[in-house]
Amino acid sequence: MKLIRSDRKALFAFMAPAILVMILFFVIPVIYVIVVSFLKWNGISAPAFNNLKNYALLMKDKSFSRSVINNIIWALVAGFIQVPLAMVMAIILSRKPKGWKFFRTVYFFPQVISGIALATLWRAIYNAEHGMLNGLLRAVGLGAAAKDWLGTIQTAFPAVLIYWVFYIGYYMVIMMADITTIDTSYYEAATIDGATDFQQAIYITIPLIKKTSLLTCVTLASVMGLRQFEQVYMLTNGQPANTTSTIVLYMYKKMQNANYGIASASAVILILVGVIFIICIRKLFEGRGDRPPVVKSVRRAVK
Amino acid sequence: MKKLFALVLALALCFSLAALAVPASADGEIVINFPSIWVGTDSKAPYLAEMIEAFNAENAGSIKVVVEDQTDYQAYRDKIRTTITTGSAPDLCILDTTFDIKAFAESGKFMDLTPYLDEGWGANFTDGAFDAWSVDGKVSILPFEAAVFTPIYNTEILKAAGWDHFPATYTEFFQMADDIKAAGFNVMGQMAGENGWSSMLWYSLLVEAIGGKDVYADGLSNPAFVEAAKVLKEMYNYTFDGAISAGAGDVNGHWLNRDTAIYLNGPWWIANLYKEENAVDGVLLADVCEVATNPSYEGGKGEGGLVTTVQGFLAAAKQDDPAKEAAVIKFLKYISEPERVSQWALSSGAMFFVKYTPSPETRLISQKVTEVANKAPYTILHVNGAFPTAFSTEFPAAVSALVLGEVDEQGFVDQLQLAIDMA
Repeated sequence: MKLIRSDRKALFAFMAPAILVMILFFVIPVIYVIVVSFLKWNGISAPAFNNLKNYALLMKDKSFSRSVINNIIWALVAGFIQVPLAMVMAIILSRKPKGWKFFRTVYFFPQVISGIALATLWRAIYNAEHGMLNGLLRAVGLGAAAKDWLGTIQTAFPAVLIYWVFYIGYYMVIMMADITTIDTSYYEAATIDGATDFQQAIYITIPLIKKTSLLTCVTLASVMGLRQFEQVYMLTNGQPANTTSTIVLYMYKKMQNANYGIASASAVILILVGVIFIICIRKLFEGRGDRPPVVKSVRRAVK
Repeated sequence: MKKLFALVLALALCFSLAALAVPASADGEIVINFPSIWVGTDSKAPYLAEMIEAFNAENAGSIKVVVEDQTDYQAYRDKIRTTITTGSAPDLCILDTTFDIKAFAESGKFMDLTPYLDEGWGANFTDGAFDAWSVDGKVSILPFEAAVFTPIYNTEILKAAGWDHFPATYTEFFQMADDIKAAGFNVMGQMAGENGWSSMLWYSLLVEAIGGKDVYADGLSNPAFVEAAKVLKEMYNYTFDGAISAGAGDVNGHWLNRDTAIYLNGPWWIANLYKEENAVDGVLLADVCEVATNPSYEGGKGEGGLVTTVQGFLAAAKQDDPAKEAAVIKFLKYISEPERVSQWALSSGAMFFVKYTPSPETRLISQKVTEVANKAPYTILHVNGAFPTAFSTEFPAAVSALVLGEVDEQGFVDQLQLAIDMA
């Protein structure tokens, strides 16, 4: 369809506020961060051009590389463990079994509690002396396994990560909303063909949400994994020995040190990692058609 | 007509928002904005609030000090730095990052207080208080709140371990530590979580005992830092379980529960020793506490020096309006007046760089801390104060790495040095 001149004007008029906001609150700050990443600046004295030294220092800093690795692990766990868990629950609850509303509420409940409050709660659970986890272990006769979960190199990062994996409510409700829009005739036809619930989930539900809510949730979860801050800050502040640090926490500490050049350089790297992640996710979800031949695939599976 | 109405509405909204942003003041009244961290649960908050109320009442209609409560220290530091970066400074503010003070002074955003101090106001302050903080002979950042760090110990725990005195050397200290541990108590509270505060203070004491008064002269290259790291690591064998992930709450909790023999923190904490809620069977914690001096280290260069810091500096923005400058100075003089500072010290337990006669009601432990401080032949800053902020940010990571064996003592120092170099 060809746009006539007046349409273009109207189109531009409608888009202008969004473009303006985007330029003001995203493009300009990103450009600013990129510029500062090449400066040596403490926020008080005049900034000085620092070539690529900030980036070179980042590459040499083991705690930064550890932060990047942690973030990548976090994003992968978010996208490929947390979201699939949410998907499984969404598929189960969309079948509306007995008590599904109760479970939907239970799974969603942590989303309405602040991340700081949850982290504080888990810090208490992991407490080496009086924590519930060690208390439980001692109660069941596994006292030898009790440890300082957040103060031991081998357990600190998994401890920070693991509880969060089960907060699946947000992604679950997104996918549930999508699943309810799937035409029920697919399921009816599959049932007539003798497909089990599991087969229906594999050959109907997942293919039909793959490019919509599943892709959205994997992208959202991975991006949230990449920008993790408050949980780590509250639970461990990156310790022990910087083994639980993330890029945003690293950036925060550099800003505490008034080292705005290195903080900005790490922000630029975070943006790059984020862009690479999103490209990879989109590539992964790329398929040959928008909608797979659902019923045929179910029939093949049943045969 | 509709456009005109929309325009009027928009302007009204803008003006009402602007009115909300600026504190209301009567005609001709000078408003001094004071974003302050001495608010909320800070021990200095109640008396400061009293002083401000009294000052505002005395100067009603001409000067009004408006406090902006800032309870998050780091957010406050960021705010001050940001306002300076963007070209201005608050009318009055508190600075607490020792190492950056000269940079703040050199920023040129703060009022030169030298002429006012030279007029006689300077006589209120302790001798030499400004020496380390003036730039080109000018004082624009006023050292105000002082802190000294002396170990306080629980005499009952020492007695239970068979000790009737606090050790004079670190060799004896570890003998006592073994006895205390054998008696079923923790010797001290260490923490590598949060900002590693307690461990930082113990490390500072060790650095002083080993390296002496000039320990900071060559930065971290002084071998005292490596030796002190070795002793600090050893100390983790005498603290409670989980010290690697512990924070201030854990250290304080153990001390208040009376299962830890020695406590190390600033004078602001003394008030807690006198709280009824921390008493056991009616016996206040203060009643079983004594103040110790830093033990000496065999072969070390320390001579009983005192670890201190400037806990808070006061600074005022450079003003174009002479009347406002005079108002700010009037308020600064008001709160640094010796009699008021004496009351402030009494109510808060804090110490100040102001010459004042301690109130006879001053708590005994505070008096003992002052006695120990007065006897010290010299003072050194704690390590966080002596090095750039990058040191204190990295310290918890370096300590946990040291204690968990990820790095050796030299690696610990190297890790801190790298953090400083990056800054």
